[in-house]
Amino acid sequence: MGTKWSWRAILVFIWWCASTSTTQAIWLDLPPSGTKCVSEDIQNNVVVLADYSLINGQEDAHMPSGATISVRVTSPYGNNLHHKENMTHGQFAFTTSESGNYLACFWVDGHHQGTKGLTVSLDWRIGIAAKDWESVAKKEKIEGVEFELRKLEGAVEAIHENLIYLKNREADMREVSEKTNARVAWFSIMSIGVCIAVSILQLWYLKRFFHKKKLI
Amino acid sequence: MLRFPTILTAAVVFSFLITEAVGIRFVIDREECLSHNVEYEGDTVHVSFVVIKAESPWHFSQDGVDLVIKGPGGEQVHDVHDRTSERYEFMAQKKGLFQFCFTNKSPYHETIDFDVQVGHFAYYDQHAKDEHFKPLFDQIAKLEEALYNIQFEQHWLQAENDRQALVNEKMGRRAVHKALIESAALIGASVLQVYLLQRLFERKLGTSRV
Repeated sequence: MGTKWSWRAILVFIWWCASTSTTQAIWLDLPPSGTKCVSEDIQNNVVVLADYSLINGQEDAHMPSGATISVRVTSPYGNNLHHKENMTHGQFAFTTSESGNYLACFWVDGHHQGTKGLTVSLDWRIGIAAKDWESVAKKEKIEGVEFELRKLEGAVEAIHENLIYLKNREADMREVSEKTNARVAWFSIMSIGVCIAVSILQLWYLKRFFHKKKLI
Repeated sequence: MLRFPTILTAAVVFSFLITEAVGIRFVIDREECLSHNVEYEGDTVHVSFVVIKAESPWHFSQDGVDLVIKGPGGEQVHDVHDRTSERYEFMAQKKGLFQFCFTNKSPYHETIDFDVQVGHFAYYDQHAKDEHFKPLFDQIAKLEEALYNIQFEQHWLQAENDRQALVNEKMGRRAVHKALIESAALIGASVLQVYLLQRLFERKLGTSRV
């Protein structure tokens, strides 16, 4: 009796967690012509999940039914990761193999000629937010407090990794600053040296010139 | 031990404490509006933006943007002018679609890193009678919200670092360019001087010795 209820409880809990997945989306306004691009600086070996869909604006009583968008996702080195045309909604997922700026571009398809732009809802999850916790819960059969603490542990690890990454970036930046400092000093001395050398040359040349013209 | 009402309480508590966070970068031309849905009234909305770079050739003008936050009914919640970096939080008075509009006053394109996070307040199920577990869930919920806040701050810090890294690189290049141009200008000015003096004396000598 006790175990049956506890299994039901676990199922209810899992169902709750699954059904209350939040709308993390941000809404972009696409212009009628032109591309709208969204980018993010992502490190290597990170899972990216994204979900995009067209939104029927509230004030747009009759949205053109032929309205479709196209999407292209490119990696920092220009590789095309995902390219689809004539979509109203879709998703893409990939694991990053390079560290850098990933770009997702949306544009309205050509045959939909309207003066009003479209609104796209983009739900973009990177790294720890893209992790599928329900499958982890089912696979490892954890529930309740342990499950929540496991999620928090994942979040803390992500924070720690992010902090290490920030530390490395700061070290790089510090190197560039020191180099700039040294450069400013050396190049100023070089400038002064050039100025002095050139004026000495001038003097020497003019003296020779006046000697030649028998003025001195 | 895992009694049904306890799990139900946990489910209700944790289902409400789920935080949404979004971080994107985009290039702004003149004006750009983004919308985000706030699901529950009374949520705390944290918003931050950093101008990563401006495409101006010499980067000596102040590159700031304006941000106007409008609520679901179109009422203005907050606005800032000419900032390169800003963090703000407010409590959502109504639930619905909040609009964040950026305006770029400088003639150059700017890249903006924008982050918004909505933190729900945990609703506690009044029917839970088990006081033994409730403080534990409270603390876990608070911990979760604190961790999401840390992630939000880290995202902002990373964006600020990116901006400073770009500024530093530009400064390094600028120092070298300045020194080279200065040397070239000095050499050019002295060659011009010599040439003019030569011409002057040759003419004077030419006229006086005739």
